Amino acid sequence: MNRPLSQPSNRRRTNNGIEIPLLAQWLVVFFLIGLLGLFFVYLKNQQHAIGEQTRLVEAKINELHAHHDALIAKVTALTSRGALQKRLDEKYLDLVPIAETAIARTTPARTLGEERTMRTASLRRNLETD
Amino acid sequence: MAVQKTFTSIVLGNRIGIVCFFVALVFTFFALRLVDLQVGGHEKFSRLAAEKHGVKQPILAERGNIFDRHGEVLAVNVPVRTVYADGTHIKDPLLLAHVAAPFLGILEKELALKLASKRAYFVIRSGVSELEAAGMMKALEESKLTGLYLQPGSERSYPNGKMLSHVLGFVDHTGHGIDGVEHFFDSELAGRDGYRRIEHDRKGLEIVLYRGQEERAIHGTPLYLTIDMGLQAIVEKQLDIAMATYKPAGATAILVDPTTGEVLAMASRPNYDPNHYSDATPQELRNRAVTDMYEPGSIFKIVAAAGAINEGVLSEKSTIFCEHGSFYYGGKILHDARGDYFGDLSVRDVLVHSSNIGAAKIAMKMGDKKYYEYVRRFGFGDKTNIPLPGEISGLVNPPARWDKLTITRMAMGHAIAATPMQVVMEVAAIANDGKLLIPQLIHHRNLEKGRVEPLVRREIISSNVAQSINGALIDVVARGTAQHAKIDGYLVAGKTGTAQKINPHGGYLEGRYIVSFAGYFPADHPRIAGLVVIDDARIGSMANFGGLVAAPIFSKIGEAAARYLDLLPVSTDDAKVFPSALDSMNHE
Repeated sequence: MNRPLSQPSNRRRTNNGIEIPLLAQWLVVFFLIGLLGLFFVYLKNQQHAIGEQTRLVEAKINELHAHHDALIAKVTALTSRGALQKRLDEKYLDLVPIAETAIARTTPARTLGEERTMRTASLRRNLETD
Repeated sequence: MAVQKTFTSIVLGNRIGIVCFFVALVFTFFALRLVDLQVGGHEKFSRLAAEKHGVKQPILAERGNIFDRHGEVLAVNVPVRTVYADGTHIKDPLLLAHVAAPFLGILEKELALKLASKRAYFVIRSGVSELEAAGMMKALEESKLTGLYLQPGSERSYPNGKMLSHVLGFVDHTGHGIDGVEHFFDSELAGRDGYRRIEHDRKGLEIVLYRGQEERAIHGTPLYLTIDMGLQAIVEKQLDIAMATYKPAGATAILVDPTTGEVLAMASRPNYDPNHYSDATPQELRNRAVTDMYEPGSIFKIVAAAGAINEGVLSEKSTIFCEHGSFYYGGKILHDARGDYFGDLSVRDVLVHSSNIGAAKIAMKMGDKKYYEYVRRFGFGDKTNIPLPGEISGLVNPPARWDKLTITRMAMGHAIAATPMQVVMEVAAIANDGKLLIPQLIHHRNLEKGRVEPLVRREIISSNVAQSINGALIDVVARGTAQHAKIDGYLVAGKTGTAQKINPHGGYLEGRYIVSFAGYFPADHPRIAGLVVIDDARIGSMANFGGLVAAPIFSKIGEAAARYLDLLPVSTDDAKVFPSALDSMNHE
């Protein structure tokens, strides 16, 4: 089919060329957004991982705390007045007077004459603080 | 042709537009639906999500420990675990039972039978110790077995067993105080549980990242009691000896600091082990010191003597004619005990010789209303307000309900009922210059150490009158009915009491007595006031007196307590103020 004469014969077709700078600009924008997304996901995963570690450490602390409490309770039971009295009765433990020669005195020993009675250290301390 | 071309161009030209239109419509629909879900259904779906994944995890408060005044542990929490099984995770019940049974104290066959269940949750054993539970989990881990899990918890433990059981009480399996201090101070000891809003994953594990609102637990307050376990051990030992010697139905002993009202020791028999409270009988659970009342007997004569002297009706030296042991009044004859035939006795000697007739006449001189007033002023008929559950106020009838004989019987400690705690506070008031105190059981809380300030309830009698009664009570021990209460090296003041047991069906039980001794020492500077009550000792009637049964126990407690507290023994100069006491000390 012949074209009308009024139309230019050498009309250039519409230029659909790729605008490289603009594309590159968008690519960079999308890349950065993608990178940001990935970074967000990475951080989120890290947070979850740290959270998991926190949970495990807390569980371990609780376990150790309970273990510690259990041991304290055991020590308390073994050193309770009743338990010690029982061991004293069974002669498993014994009260031995401390020999005079084994006492290192920082102050001279009080004699019976000062208060007309021999006092124990605990009462003397109480009397002094009263 | 032109029309057809136009139509085709329109159709073909807009085809893309139509597709775009429909695509846009679909996306718009999706967008609207999203908006609807996110905005319109926000609350509904948030709630659903929270229900599905969110949990309000409790943060358990630790119950406060209980200590004595010096920090000796009386009640602690022991961590224990509840072992439960998830049947859906168990692959080999026999192997699992073989590995776990030694740690759980259950027979392997029995455990295997339990583990064969396919239920998702069932408890295997509660109260497993932390150490056993840890051992079991380690063994399971090594054997790569699953299906048994642990739930945390704690159990109350009383390291001293039966000692001080009535004061401490116990907590039930839910952790609530049921008796004693554990019950009275339950809200303080329990603290308040906190919580944390958490989300969990499909496995049920917490997602720490999504932790929400958190309220920290407020742990219970540690309590430091006024009890001195050194003195408590002395009291408990002597009560055990008394129980073995006299085989009574019950026994009670209390020691208090008369200047502050602090309860230093309190014990009753029979008692129980709060670690195994479910094995205790109702008799063993009773804290007789505050929940039981009895006729105090002659200890009550103090009230009449102190009241009469304080009112100026009589003086310490006024003489009372004691009718030579037989007083006919109100149609009945009142006798003095043990065939005593007293003539004239001073008010002081009425106490020293514990004359029933003398006490009755003193009360009669005061008159019904005045005497009743003093009975109430000494705290009888009212609770002492000791912080222990179940305290009763005793029984004191008002004068309107008395007959002619009541005042004569009440003066000698009958026709009235008092708790041991009321009686010991009565005697402590004499030791404290006539001031009646409220007994205290809490020394301090947390670590706020300090001195316990006395809580004065009222001044019953003047200091001078209290000194007069003090002198009389010293004489009771020095040369009266309570000579077995003496403690070498210390001035002791006190009064014996012997009363027949009341028959629940009316009247009194023949040959069965409640005997007691209440006193304090050193009488010149009282540090300890105490009471020993022995209910129905299995000995002959001729020996079943407060002075012969309860007074020696008080003496032994006092001797050990004086040594424990390192009390200064009385010097000859101090004792000159109390000549009869000095005489009695020199004679020994």
